[in-house]
Parts: sequence; structure tokens; C-alpha cells
Amino acid sequence: MAAVGEEAPTLFLRKATGLVKGWSKFDAFLYSFMSVNFVTLGLFFALSVLAFVPTGQVLPALLISGVFVTFLVVTYAGLISVMPRAGGDYVWQSRVLGGGIGFLLAVTGWWFILWYWAPIYGNILNVEVFQPLAAIFELDGVSDFLASNNGLFFVCAVTVVLAGYLVSLGMEGYAKVQKVCFYIGMIALAAIFLVMLFGSKSGFQSAFNQEAANLFGGSGNVYAQTIATGAVNNAGPIVPDLGFSPFFGDTLLLIPFLCFWILWPNWGATLYGEVRGASDFRRVMGGMMWGLWITIAVAVVFILLASKFFGWQFFNAANVNYWATVYGYGDATMPVWSYAPLLVSFYFHNTLISALIIIAFGAWFLGWAGTLFLSSTRVIFAAAFDRILPEKVADVSERKHVPVWALVLMLVPALIVSAFYAYTATFKTWILDATLVIAVTFFGSAVAATVLPWVKKRLYESSPMARYKVLGIPLITVTGFLTAAFLGFNLWHWFSNDLYAVNDPDSLYFMGGMYLLAIVIYIVARVVRKNQGIDLSAIHKEIPVE
Amino acid sequence: MVKIFFVTDLHGSEICWKKFLNAGPFYGADVVILGGDVTGKAMVPIVQRANGTWEASLQDHRDTLESEDAIVEFEKRVMNRGYYPIRVSDQEYVAMQEDEDLVDKRFKEVMLEGTERWIAMAEDKLAGSGIRVIACPANDDMFEIDDLLTGARVVETGDEEHPIQLGDFTMVSMGWTNPTPWHTFREAEEPDLAVRIERALTAATDPQTTIFNFHAPPYGSKLDNAPALNADLTYVSGGQAIRPVGSTSVYESIKRYQPMLSLHGHIHESKGAARIGKTLALNPGSSYEEGILQAAVVSIDEKKRKVKNYQLVNG
Repeated sequence: MAAVGEEAPTLFLRKATGLVKGWSKFDAFLYSFMSVNFVTLGLFFALSVLAFVPTGQVLPALLISGVFVTFLVVTYAGLISVMPRAGGDYVWQSRVLGGGIGFLLAVTGWWFILWYWAPIYGNILNVEVFQPLAAIFELDGVSDFLASNNGLFFVCAVTVVLAGYLVSLGMEGYAKVQKVCFYIGMIALAAIFLVMLFGSKSGFQSAFNQEAANLFGGSGNVYAQTIATGAVNNAGPIVPDLGFSPFFGDTLLLIPFLCFWILWPNWGATLYGEVRGASDFRRVMGGMMWGLWITIAVAVVFILLASKFFGWQFFNAANVNYWATVYGYGDATMPVWSYAPLLVSFYFHNTLISALIIIAFGAWFLGWAGTLFLSSTRVIFAAAFDRILPEKVADVSERKHVPVWALVLMLVPALIVSAFYAYTATFKTWILDATLVIAVTFFGSAVAATVLPWVKKRLYESSPMARYKVLGIPLITVTGFLTAAFLGFNLWHWFSNDLYAVNDPDSLYFMGGMYLLAIVIYIVARVVRKNQGIDLSAIHKEIPVE
Repeated sequence: MVKIFFVTDLHGSEICWKKFLNAGPFYGADVVILGGDVTGKAMVPIVQRANGTWEASLQDHRDTLESEDAIVEFEKRVMNRGYYPIRVSDQEYVAMQEDEDLVDKRFKEVMLEGTERWIAMAEDKLAGSGIRVIACPANDDMFEIDDLLTGARVVETGDEEHPIQLGDFTMVSMGWTNPTPWHTFREAEEPDLAVRIERALTAATDPQTTIFNFHAPPYGSKLDNAPALNADLTYVSGGQAIRPVGSTSVYESIKRYQPMLSLHGHIHESKGAARIGKTLALNPGSSYEEGILQAAVVSIDEKKRKVKNYQLVNG
């Protein structure tokens, strides 16, 4: 028997299954931190495209984004608190908005679109690990292969197999890998931060010019050439120096770019213990909040150091040049992406040290790669248990305990999509839809959270969240609404503004096709199950109490 | 056709028990079964202060209760979450903090009172309805509730020595589980559990007409995935590390005997369905604290002696 409470116990517990003592705040933080991954998504998908809004300022954009993603964190912590252990967006949306909407938004956002994330992950592995290593060791043949369609497909296939293997390891094994990756990645990051802090810009310019000549055959002042080429590629000036003006205006246009990276602190919604209360809500929220804001802090430090060490215009020009070569409208002074750790490593003029830095930074990728398919398995299983998908897809092998069919449903389409990505030009312009579709799913959960206190009154009132109000309005409604508004802002920009390259008609047709596929699956399931005597609408009907 | 409504691990949640009693007509079920873990895990003290008011906390929120109505309302909230409200004086409260035996004794009292109250509610609601009610004890239930369940008029119960006939089908129950980190009432090492299961199966003559109601889920079936725990009962990796914790004896018994249907619980987070050979194994999971009645609705074709269909619902 045990008494629970600090000074005086507020309840007495007996020995009974499932009574856990919570979890370490660090563990809760870790998964969130690795999901909103600064090095993979942050450097590659957000900070590399800043020059496309030359009149915007990244620091205020980052802070504004952070504040609004905070609302998302509170909303998700609230949903976890009201429906713990439910399994995430699919179950929350199904219970509040209905099974059809829940299925539609969850399978598109947490299953189908992750096929699309496979080449995104693969491309990041390529530009942050394989290509820099090939460049450092001057393996021209390997570099050419990696830059080719076959090379890109090879790297995507490696990523898919790696992510599939991590799923088969199970989350427990992967969590250990992730923890080691965190420490290695942070040590590597701290090391380059120190170089950037104590090194000079002139020193970097000299090192860059020298290594550009050694590794890429550049000549003269390649640093200055990079800025000049960037201005040509960007059809105008790159970016002003860092600052806070304008705080709004064009700065807001950077937010949809930053959301390609910063929108995911809730990626692995943490479990909630039994016989617990509001303190657990705060703990769940704390894990995600630290994951978000430490990432933002790291990003701010990086941006300041990049400005000091590389020069802000050079950093952005080099990135613009890379994208110009990817989309085929310009040239670059480097044949590989201007990956910041690679640039810093030039400072040492030592192949092995450069390689060591790149490999150590690879830990950021490995600690993140497992997130690709883990959530998909949960959604596929949940839909199968709800009888929407065939029972077979939730099978696990008896010998290895591996979710065989769920993996097949993720790996095979991911490989096909990777092939399209590698071998067709248009597919590359569609990859940003991955963020868009998941944002739509989050939007559904934000709406569910907003209306939850009224739609599921009993459920809400029996949760610790019912205690939290703002001016008499339930906190989860306030943050849910603000989150939905923030996601709506981003979705509106992604849909309507050419800047983000995701409002391409073909891209929208493709995305619509995925939703159509989900609708077809759901309708077929309703009809088939009805013939079997199963009413899918009964899954979430509440039994009367009295 | 026999239609079964199966739930498990209500752990004292009064709202879930009320829904359970209403589930028969709601789903058109012939029999409603609570597979195990009937009783609650926690007592919430409502302490009378010197000025005559009462104080209590629920979910980290402290309430001062100034009227009998307020106390009753608070007690209802407590019971709906599966906890037992206990009214105590200041002195009793202090004494309970210092004496585990007093807590133990009070737990026993409230669990028995709670079970009696639930039995009475079932009799009020379902006597003469034609819907059978079955409630079996499991590892988290103290042995003293067995006699209450056995002596009930409307509520039936079963264990490894007392199978239950459901028409042409025999339901064999096993509330014992493989060891847990909490050392609960009905736990046995796997070899001992295997012996218990073997003994229970002497009542089952035909796999096609046998239903297992084994509280522990089969090991490695995905019905038994629970968050990994450290030695101090904290979650490993923030609750992200999941591992199978079911029973190998249960798994082996299903694989060898191949009952038509195998019903499980115990691992609240692991709602799901699995096929082990020809056997359909189900764990509806549990969200008792939130007042959501997770359940499996199973239709059995008596002529073909097989499961016609099943559905996992959140009632």
C-alpha cells in the first residue's frame, strides 16, 4: 500500500497493475526534440530557403512561429490528457468528429503521405551524409552516382529499408539508438558552434576558398563568387543583415517555410499514466515544450553564429545556389549542398576531421529516421482494429513479432514513390505537400480539440483539462482555435502562394487523389462490413449511463 | 447466434459499470461479460476538518466541500474514475498515513462494499431481462470478492475450476496472470500458470465450442504491448519504448488447444485482435478512468460453431 502526495496524501493506492510513477522529463523531451530536428529538417528545409523572402527577417519569424506552435503543444497535451493512451490523431478525431473524418485525415496524414516522406528523408541522408563524405574524400565517381537518378533512388531505398528495420526493432530498441544519437549529435553541434564562435569570418573565407579549390576545382575568390551567383539566381539581393525589422510584413512569409521544420514537437504523443491528474498534463506538455523551445534556442544561436562566421549573405547565397541547381534554373559554386557542418569542417583543412564531423552529424539523421514509419504502424493497426482495413494488415509475425503487412503497406509504396521522385522531374516539386497534408491532419485535431468540451462533455469534464480556463473559456478550446488559425494561415499560404512551390495543380491533384483513395477505402469498408453484419458507425457511439 | 459483449479491467469505474449493464440492450447482446479486474486501485480521502467542512483532492485539484450535496457530487466524480471515496476524520487520516494496515483494512472494506453495490445494481437493472451478466475476478482483485460474486443472484462468475456454459459453448476463465512488477493478488510463474491452465482445460471437451476468458493476453500477440518500465516503475524512454508482457503459457495453450475464441484484458493500452492459428484472440483494452467503455462485440454462429463477426467499440 502506498500514500500519494507531497505533504499529505491526496489518495491512497494499493498494489495494482499499471500504477507507474510517470517518466523522466528528459525522455519526454528527447523524442520531441529529435522530431523537430534542427539539423535535418531545420537546416535543410527551413533555413536553406530564407533568401526566397529577401525582405523578411528570420529571427522574428522564428519567435512568432514558436509562440503559435506552443499553442499546438498545449492543444496536443490537452488531447492526451482527455484521452490518454488513445493512439493519437486518428482516435481523437474519430471520437470527436466521427469515424469517417478521423479515418480520412489520419490515413492521409499519418500513412499515405509518409510514403512521400521517404524520399524527403532519403534526400536529406544524401545531402547531409553521403554527398559530403564523397566530396571530402574526392570520390568523384561516387559523387556523380549520388547526384544521378540511380544514386538518389539508391539512397531513398537505403532510407526506406533503414526505417523499416528500425520499426521491426520496436520502439524500445529505437529509443536506445535515439538517445545515443542525441548525445553524439549534440556534442558535434557544440563543437561546430565553438568553431563558429571563436573562428573569424576572414578565416572562414580563406578556408572556404582554399577547400573549394581543392575539392571542387574552384579558383579565385569563390566566397565572393558564391554571393554574386546567389544574387543572379535570386534575381536580386540575397537578404539584409540579421535584425528584427520588419517584425511583421514580409517576415510573416517566412513562417510557412519554417513550418516545414518546426511543426512537429507533438510527433510522438507521450503516454499518460494511470491514477494521475493535472501534474501529468503539465509533464506531457513540458516534454514537448522543451523540445520545441530548446530547438528554437539552438536555431537562434546557429543563426547568430552563421551570420558572424559565414556571413549572412554568403550563407543564404550558397543555399539559393544549391536550390537553383536542384530546380535547374541557375549555377552554384559548389557541386554539393552548402551543409553548415561541411562548411565549418573546411576550417580544419583535414579530411579525417571533416569526415568525423559529417559522420557525427549523421547521428541527427539516425535519431530521426525511425520516426518515418513508427506512427504509420499505429494508424494502420487502429484502422484494422476498427474493421475499416482488413484484419490481416495488423498481423505480426509469430517468430519475430514484426508487423509484416503494415510494413509492406508502408515500404512498397514508399519505394515506388522514391522511384518516381528519383526518375521524374515533377515529383521533386511535390515533396513539400508532405508537410501540407500532415498540417491538414493537425488542423483536424485542432478543430476536434476546440469543440471537444461540448461534443464530448462528459469525457472532457472528467479530465484534468476541465480545470484550465481562459476568461471562462476552456483552455483546450482557446489553444485549439489558435492552433487551427495558425495552421489555416500556413495552409492558405501554401495553397495560394507560388513562393512555396506546393500550389502546383498537378501537386494538388495528387494530394486530392490521396484523399479520394481514403474516401473510397472508407466507403468500401462501410459496405463490406455492413454485409457482414458490422456497423462501423457504432464504434464510437456512447452507451447510455442511466 | 450468440452475441457476446465483452469488457475487461473496469477497475471500480462506476460509470463504466453502469454502461456495461446497459450494453446488452444497446448492442443486442445475449450476454455481457466483465473479464476481470473488477475492483479499483485507489482511495480518495475526504477529510473532515475541525470547522466541520470537508476537504479532498481529485486530479491535483483541492476542493473544500461545505454541504452534503457537494460531498455526494464529489464522491460521484471519484467513483466514476474508478477510485473509492472514503470519509475520514482528521485523526483517522493521520493514522492511515502512518499505518499501512489501516489502509489495507479500509481498502478491503471499500472494495467489498463497492462489489456488493455493483451486484445490487445489476440485479435492479437486469433481473428478468434475459440478458446474462458475468463478472470474473482477475489478478488485481482480492480473493474476498470471489464469494460475493459466487453468491450473487443475477451476476454469474467463473474461474479455472468453474467453467460457464453459454448455450452450446463452454467459457473457461483464468484470472491468474504471469508475474507483474506490482506483485498483485493472482500471479504465478509461467510453469505454475501452465499447470493452472491445464487443469482448467479439463472442462473443455471441444475446441470448436470452447471460449477462453484468460485475463493475461498471449505473449507477443500484439495484444500485450505495454510501455517498458524501469526498476523504479518509471517509463523507459518517455513511454515510447513498448514491449510484449503477455503470458507464454497462455500463448502456448491457445496455440495447442485452438479454442474458437480467446478473450483477454490486463494490458489496457493494447486493444486489438490477433489470429493465433484458427483462434481469434481479442483484447478490447480499457479506458476506465475516462469513463469510456472499451469492449468487444462478438457474434457467434452456433450452427457453424465459429465467430461470425466481431467489433471493438468505445461505448
